Amino acid sequence: MLRWEIVGSRLLYPLLFISQALVGAGFVIGFGLLIPDLDQSAAQYLSTGAVVMSLILGGLIVTPQLLAQQKMQGSYDYVWSMPVPRSAASLASTTMAAVVAIPGIVAALAVAVWRYDVVLSVDVAVVPAFLLTVACGSLIGSAVGHAVSKPQVTLLFTQLGIFFIIGFSPVSFPVERLPGWLATVHQYLPLHHMAIAVRSSLTEGLVEMTLLSWIVLSLWTFVAGAVTGAILLRRR
Amino acid sequence: MTAATPDLGLRSRSGFWLAGYSSMLRFEMRNLRTYLTIGLAIQVLLGAGMALMYGFYFGEVDQDQWAFLVTGIPTLALIPIGFVMVPNAIMEHKLKDTYDYVWSLPVPRSASAIATSTIFTVLAIPGTVIALVIAAISYDVEMSISWSVLPAVVFTSVTATSVGYAVGHAVPEPRVISLITNVVMFAVLLFSPIVVAIGQFPDWWAAVHRILPFWHMSVVIRAGLTDGLLTSPLTASYGALVAWAVASWLVAAWVVGRRR
Repeated sequence: MLRWEIVGSRLLYPLLFISQALVGAGFVIGFGLLIPDLDQSAAQYLSTGAVVMSLILGGLIVTPQLLAQQKMQGSYDYVWSMPVPRSAASLASTTMAAVVAIPGIVAALAVAVWRYDVVLSVDVAVVPAFLLTVACGSLIGSAVGHAVSKPQVTLLFTQLGIFFIIGFSPVSFPVERLPGWLATVHQYLPLHHMAIAVRSSLTEGLVEMTLLSWIVLSLWTFVAGAVTGAILLRRR
Repeated sequence: MTAATPDLGLRSRSGFWLAGYSSMLRFEMRNLRTYLTIGLAIQVLLGAGMALMYGFYFGEVDQDQWAFLVTGIPTLALIPIGFVMVPNAIMEHKLKDTYDYVWSLPVPRSASAIATSTIFTVLAIPGTVIALVIAAISYDVEMSISWSVLPAVVFTSVTATSVGYAVGHAVPEPRVISLITNVVMFAVLLFSPIVVAIGQFPDWWAAVHRILPFWHMSVVIRAGLTDGLLTSPLTASYGALVAWAVASWLVAAWVVGRRR
């Protein structure tokens, strides 16, 4: 199924690779240009925020878009008719989401170090933080992609999702800048906790990872996985 | 373009052109009505949303910077209409195979072209105003609005729709158009001195923006909304916008007027 994913999207993935790298680097450079008097912590927020976005964009945005496309083209049922376990198919797309994230992460961090002399201190928590973030984003993406029957609704969700993640989530700036009610909402959403997990594993002294964040993230991952599983196992 | 005008020898030229213009206005209006509602939503979301979003990223800055941000918002709300929606609307004709049909209608092609530009220019106004008002309220910025904002908005909008129109017609491949529009939006939102001063950019990049239309658009609109935030000559910016518009008309006229 992994090979199927790769072959089926062989045109898409090189493009995604390049665009992820460009977006990752562009995001850091672009906001670096715009923000007046960029200081060290702002640069750290920007670059680690770009890492988080790279990790989730593949799974949360591209996966549902591909599923929506399959539904529109009518190849959705065909894929499910193939003689492979459905969980294998789902896992294959999560794997691809993780692979696709790599160029964006590398580009964002490289630019941050080169342009803003950002000091990174990577600790072991980076492994669970990255894995959990990818898995959570990807599973939510596939849950939405599979559960929503109208492809147009899925596409709308992804468009608004990008806007919300970039503009109104404390991924690339401190949560205190959001209005109180929105900050409260983000306590319950996974984005803020993904950002804390990734940021605390890459930098020193900016934020501390808490048990609560691990729990919230795991819970979202579990629920999204369960929803995806329930839909995939259902017979029609 | 006159070559494309069917000379029937029966009606007066200008009367024929005006009749064609008004029917194309109605035609495009009906054709695009769902599209235009979405456009309004995009403008308000993008305009006002970007205002708030830049605010989150900027953190602590002084009141002048906020004024700069707010007065850059109308430009940000106008650009997607011209640079994204216009080429997409044309692309849709191409995808649905109605492109040749529209050209086969018995109206002068120039009337059809100007009808499209008119609709997008007029319909860009409400969204722009709403975005500006929301932005000004959220940052508590006081503006001193002068009459010169009117020509500024018209010039900006006409230039944006003209460039979009030329791109939409000149590029044959729909996928290339969508790539171009995405790249433009990315560049406009992250790499353009629209909500910040151009002096903040590296010299070479600022030099590029003195040629591109985006910064000039923000200059003329900001001049109509504020006092004393301006540091560059207005005439130069108007000149640049006019040059871009005229160049686009030439490209569009060549593509549209050519016989196939």
